[in-house]
Amino acid sequence: MSQFVHGLMRFRRGPWEMLASVLIAIGVVMLMQPVVLWAYTYSFIVTLTGTVMFIVVSHFPD
Amino acid sequence: MSSYSITEPSSLQKWLAGTLVVAYAVITLLPLVWILTTGFKSPVDAIAYPPKILFEPSLEGYVNLFTTRTRVSPETLEALPPPVTWYEEVVRNRDMVIAGPSRYGERFLNSVIIGFGSTFLSVFLGTLAAYAFSRFKVPLKDDLLFFILSTRMMPPIAVAIPIFLMFRTLGLSDTHLGMILLYTAVNISLAVWLLKGFMDEIPREYEEAALIDGYTRFQAFYKVVLPQAATGIASTAIFCLIFSWNEYAFAVLLTSGTAQTAPPFIPTIIGVGGQDWPAVAAGATLFLVPVMVFTILLRKHLLRGITFGAVRK
Amino acid sequence: MSDTPIDRVAKATPPSVASKIRGLSDRAIAWLFVLPTIFLLLAVNIFPLIWTINLSFTNFRANRPNREVDYIGLRNYERILTDEDIWLTMQATAHFLFWTIFFQVLIGFTLAWLINRKFKGNDLWTTLIVLPMMLSPAVVGNFWTFLYQPQIGLFNYGISFLTGIDPSSFQMIGDVTLAPWSIVIVDTWMWTPFVMLICLAGLRSIPDYIYEAAEIDRASQWRQFWTITIPMVLPFLMLAVLFRGIENFKMFDLVVQLTGGGPGSITELTSINLKREAFEKWRTGYASAYAIILFVTVFGLASIYVKALNKVKER
Repeated sequence: MSQFVHGLMRFRRGPWEMLASVLIAIGVVMLMQPVVLWAYTYSFIVTLTGTVMFIVVSHFPD
Repeated sequence: MSSYSITEPSSLQKWLAGTLVVAYAVITLLPLVWILTTGFKSPVDAIAYPPKILFEPSLEGYVNLFTTRTRVSPETLEALPPPVTWYEEVVRNRDMVIAGPSRYGERFLNSVIIGFGSTFLSVFLGTLAAYAFSRFKVPLKDDLLFFILSTRMMPPIAVAIPIFLMFRTLGLSDTHLGMILLYTAVNISLAVWLLKGFMDEIPREYEEAALIDGYTRFQAFYKVVLPQAATGIASTAIFCLIFSWNEYAFAVLLTSGTAQTAPPFIPTIIGVGGQDWPAVAAGATLFLVPVMVFTILLRKHLLRGITFGAVRK
Repeated sequence: MSDTPIDRVAKATPPSVASKIRGLSDRAIAWLFVLPTIFLLLAVNIFPLIWTINLSFTNFRANRPNREVDYIGLRNYERILTDEDIWLTMQATAHFLFWTIFFQVLIGFTLAWLINRKFKGNDLWTTLIVLPMMLSPAVVGNFWTFLYQPQIGLFNYGISFLTGIDPSSFQMIGDVTLAPWSIVIVDTWMWTPFVMLICLAGLRSIPDYIYEAAEIDRASQWRQFWTITIPMVLPFLMLAVLFRGIENFKMFDLVVQLTGGGPGSITELTSINLKREAFEKWRTGYASAYAIILFVTVFGLASIYVKALNKVKER
């Protein structure tokens, strides 16, 4: 876990990509869950943020 | 306990596993067998209850597939000269006469033209691009490769909206050229990724030796790399062909008459009171069997094809 | 050696041109080879994408091209993301996604594990099992409506044969509760071999010596399965799940032919819903915004997929 935080702070690709992937996954779940409408409403913002983040952080050094 | 290899399953295990897999295969192939047999059933046998396994083979489905027919009164039928061909006889037995050929032939031909056209283009362009990606330092290589792959992932319906408008403006709606270009764009991503995998496996030493012998880069590519990549190119071509052959969403939205392929057409084959199932099955049989044959030919490279070249064996 | 067409062309070419071609740097050749592909993709993919983004901020309707087009900002997005009907469509997609992946992984992995017992003739049966996945979903989907017919359909007959239920007492496609399962069944039938093939590749990538070592350590079969087999196959399984997830998220051809979204809109998956908006109601601007939402979702999933691909490639 501390290695993960360390990687984040030094702008390493691996942990940041992981974070972006998690964000995308949360967005997709929010889009399709049957429970709360507001989660559906804000799902697109979350997915979009995750996707843009993924594109940016995939250029960080390994 | 000590006589057999520990990683080798026992013969009982093998027998059990084999039985289960064969059972699954038989069940999973039933719908396909049903398509093949329904094509040879008479309309009455096709909708019999309980479903008929043994039946008298009939070619009525195939006759109906290729013809359009009109019903005539018994008197008119009597007045007609006797049928010349066997298929006329089949139709007459149902109190009908042949009015003309159906559209199936044209649609099938469209599938062939568009399939082969787009396959040729995408393999041609894909081979060049794959070679460059495999051998040279292309700037932003990873981004370009990802961009190329991501274009294939896009939902066809979402892409179809602007393509529809674009084709309408350029006059490409319902033309062979438009469909060929569109399918090429979809297929090229697969072609580049697959071929890059195949080319990565060809040792660079071959070309380097050729270059030292005084070949130019083009010659080395043409005379050394291409022959080595022949199997890869052939299997890539088959994958592209199968995609264009099977594609439905773009075809149904962007074509209606002249350039329509077979997949949107086959479900529209109707007879008296609903779909003419023997004719549908006959059309499906002729359409699906080539793909089955190709699949069997491709079996060694299947895995590569469905994972964009990532999984080799 | 020197009478191939290329050589002849090379000899016939005037020296200055020839030296220019010969003198092309590797970099120039690389661009020459890559650019046609990039250009085609820009023309057929990226340009339309930008066009869609632009349209998504308007109230344009493609069936009335002469009407004045107004920019309405983010209103299309607001309306889609607060629309409960589209939310229901997403839930229908989720049901389809979840259960198809569940069954395909379960059956696909089991089959792969069985085939990996290396019984005699396993290659032949693997090839036969794979057949459904290579066929045209629209054509096959259409034929399944025949198999699903009450009474005369093979599927209903098979169920009645096994359970004794009257085959005309249930309708897979026409029934509100059964229709969502009818599409799950056909998709599972079609795509289980896909998951199976990838799992099989995963199983075959595990070297024998790992099991031999485990055997020497007297680890039980059960323990070997959970500590060796599953972790080693997991990256492959991820790949299969992500790919099927993306494919089924945008599912169109198979389901449109099977149920057409019905009965009512019970099986109306997002792509079918989008097609209605775009090509039946002709709300092009609105549908463009809808398309962008699907785009971004698929693009996000695709980036995770490519990451998973590279992970498997390293093996």
